[in-house]
Amino acid sequence: MSKLHVTRRTVQVLVVVFMLLIPVLARYQNYVAAREIDRVLERWSGTAAGGVLQAVDTTMRALPGAEKERAGRVQRDRAQVLEYAQLARGGPWSATVGPVSMTDPLGAVESMVASRALPWVLLASLLVPLAATLLLGRIFCSWICPVGFLLELTDKMRGAMRFLEIRPRDLKPSRTTKYGVLAAGLVLTAVLAIPVLGYVYPPAIVGREAHDVVFAFFDRAEMGRFGPWAGGLSWMALLLVAIISFEVLVSRRWWCRYVCPGGALYSLIGWARPVRVKLQSDRCTQCALCVAACPEGLNPMKNQMGMECDNCGECVASCGDDALAFGFDGPLIDVLRPSEREVHAESKQ
Amino acid sequence: MSVPGLDRREFFRVLALRSGKIGAGGGLLYGLLGLRPGSALPAGVRGDLGIVRPPGALEEPDFLARCIRCTECADACEAQCIRLFGPEAGDLQGTPYILPADKACTICLACGPACPSGALTPQTKREEPRMGVAVVDERLCVSHNGTGVCGACHTVCPLRNRAITQDYRNAPVVHEEACIGCGLCEEFCIVRDRRAIRVETRRRPRGEDGAPA
Repeated sequence: MSKLHVTRRTVQVLVVVFMLLIPVLARYQNYVAAREIDRVLERWSGTAAGGVLQAVDTTMRALPGAEKERAGRVQRDRAQVLEYAQLARGGPWSATVGPVSMTDPLGAVESMVASRALPWVLLASLLVPLAATLLLGRIFCSWICPVGFLLELTDKMRGAMRFLEIRPRDLKPSRTTKYGVLAAGLVLTAVLAIPVLGYVYPPAIVGREAHDVVFAFFDRAEMGRFGPWAGGLSWMALLLVAIISFEVLVSRRWWCRYVCPGGALYSLIGWARPVRVKLQSDRCTQCALCVAACPEGLNPMKNQMGMECDNCGECVASCGDDALAFGFDGPLIDVLRPSEREVHAESKQ
Repeated sequence: MSVPGLDRREFFRVLALRSGKIGAGGGLLYGLLGLRPGSALPAGVRGDLGIVRPPGALEEPDFLARCIRCTECADACEAQCIRLFGPEAGDLQGTPYILPADKACTICLACGPACPSGALTPQTKREEPRMGVAVVDERLCVSHNGTGVCGACHTVCPLRNRAITQDYRNAPVVHEEACIGCGLCEEFCIVRDRRAIRVETRRRPRGEDGAPA
């Protein structure tokens, strides 16, 4: 377990936690804003919804400046608690944390194509994702995307299938399929004048489903029903089930490698990323551990990762010979130091 | 049961493969086909009255093009009145709406700045948004039909004496030019089955008879 791997897993888990926490905070701030929070906590005590709300409330009140004394009683500072609870909103598709608004470039491009407009708010919310992708490449896929995380985990189920003597297939369609999906989706978006790719893009679906499930949970509690619930999930969740079963039985990481229109767009944007995995071929012993480790199915051993590498660092962690490491390279760096390339070319002669 | 040349393990393997493929393809297709316009709306969204959108929403074809179907406006909403259409609503899926009879907009105006796509224009004055117009049903309203004296809508109206004024026996009179369509009157109307005052908009799901887009 390398340090990078642990950090990446931590970030992925945090994204999932926040995805579920943000709608809870939305409901919490509603009860605080309506001055109903104490009544709700009392009425719901001992139930799951009440427990979740109580945990959020206790955490909120522990934050600096969230409590004040009035008439000899310690109370919530309503304005301050509201400010804390409204700090973050959204999901993996589009989120705001404090003053920073971040929208998936796929959503932004779709909105622009469908409406034929370039609103400033949308451009502003593209700043952070664009900068990160230009610099680091397709890191949304490896560090943020909750479905990428889920598929990394279900990858391991393929081993379990083998144990059950069901040999999972591994179809390998062309990698350029995803660029076709992206192009076709954008044409459809322009024709229908509605952003359609967001309806099949897994992180967008997961975000909406998580949101709906949490809201259904609290809606039920508000109606006085606290039993086990299955509300909120729509049949869009079936698409995720289909993706996962296809992944386990037919083609490893097929969505991320061959189909995902978001991954295609991130790949295109991160084409010239200066931060990338570099191979020191004199150290490489051709053991091919990195090839097996690469979630995107690329070949780090040949240093031919191109724009589809998502800089997850699994190959770096898998290498026992220290032949792979993160470094600065790529077209941008080449432009910055042409002299070095000339030096290199001269030394080769 | 036995099929020549196909043992049990092989059979289940083929079955799993086939169903996996068909399921995945079908899911994708249905996702796209489900976008057909004019699909069924969830219960309670009254097609005849039009959809109430959050304050500052663009006009309908533009709104549907601009909105990226994230959840940010619903998360920001202080009143938690903003709901999101499910997939059964076709091309409206994921877009925000308000059901004033359940929970009306309190015009906190947090949704406008929360919108990353510009589908909601940020509003600064509570008098300015135009979500719809309240319409009184004089046969149902107790103050109008003479079965009682109420005045709840007038009391709860954030633009009291401007958007709603009172006539004889507290009978409400809506002034269209001032009403912003927040729907608080509809939420607190004492006539519960079908409210005696309802927010009407010109936003109708696309494809319905005679409806503007």
